[in-house]
Amino acid sequence: MNQFAHWLTRTPPSHAFRVQESWLVPGIQSIHIVGIAIVMGSLLMIVLRILGWAGGDQTLRETSDRFGPWLVGGLCLQLVTGLVLIITEPVRELVNFSFWTKMICVAIGAALSGVFLARVPDDEQQGESLAHQRSVRSLAVIAFVVFLSIIVLGRLIAYDHIWGSWSPATEGY
Amino acid sequence: MPIDAILKSIEATRFATAIRDSIWMFPIIESVHVIGFTLVVGTIAIIDLRLLGLASVARSFERMWSDILKWTWAAFAVTVLTGLIMFTTNAQIYYHNPFFRTKMVLLLLAGINMGAFEVTAGRTVQSWGNRRSAPPAGKAVAVLSLALWIAIIFMGRIIGFTTHPGKLAPPTPGVNYDDFLQSPSSGGNPGATSPAPPAAPGKK
Repeated sequence: MNQFAHWLTRTPPSHAFRVQESWLVPGIQSIHIVGIAIVMGSLLMIVLRILGWAGGDQTLRETSDRFGPWLVGGLCLQLVTGLVLIITEPVRELVNFSFWTKMICVAIGAALSGVFLARVPDDEQQGESLAHQRSVRSLAVIAFVVFLSIIVLGRLIAYDHIWGSWSPATEGY
Repeated sequence: MPIDAILKSIEATRFATAIRDSIWMFPIIESVHVIGFTLVVGTIAIIDLRLLGLASVARSFERMWSDILKWTWAAFAVTVLTGLIMFTTNAQIYYHNPFFRTKMVLLLLAGINMGAFEVTAGRTVQSWGNRRSAPPAGKAVAVLSLALWIAIIFMGRIIGFTTHPGKLAPPTPGVNYDDFLQSPSSGGNPGATSPAPPAAPGKK
């Protein structure tokens, strides 16, 4: 991975992005954060609806129809902006404990969201019984915590040294 | 200047010093700050899109507003608290940072914008709350709100690129990438030489 990161650093797009780095990195990072806001807002509404803490005037199906596409769309925006950030600074991202831990959480979070959104029934009664299942409610809370972890780990990419010897970036120390 | 003396004494408190001296406290507080404001912006955007008639159009605005806003305020409280804590760690640097100042002005404008909603479209919500979108004043507030919050995120992010302990760093740290590419195996620290790390003041 270290070699790949260094190879990627030498590619023309990586170089081109870095030439613009004074505005491009904070700019793309900001769009990446706007994307997280879209994802978190949508996820919060769905989770609160499952728990019965908000959105009681909407059926589970209406809630997932309203926020599901934004959740998926937000995640796609994250994928695109995230890839640009990786191409721009391959070593910072790819040789990084926080980054790979975050990717595992992203896979778990995306899988949980996808499986749930695919299983929401059209029928209101069935939706209610699904939302009342203890396993579904627990998974909703777990998914939310996974996404909170994604945010924390994303921020910790900049502070990977706090992991000590787990961080490949601090091997030089 | 008295303000600098005040800021200096804030930085000198045991509280601020403890966070500065810790390797993990500032990053964790900053992460919670990000969690807080992504929830603030995410939930506000849901309301703004409803005002513009772009989403949730079939839902009563009043119902939605009272349903969501308490979560927005809770997240905002977390964001302000963590923001204040971060400020204490390097009060002088933040105070003099132009992007920090711009961010504070934009936050103030976002608050005024919300107040403007209350005295315009917010007053007549009974008459349009079940329609697809808000009257023009409500739409204007929504567009301004979205623009302001995105700008606030950008300012917040760029603060991390322009603050450095003791001085204002240029936005582009003068790192020559080729230097470390030529010696990737010389025991260097690629993470540390990566260009433009978000050099938050808490980070050493």
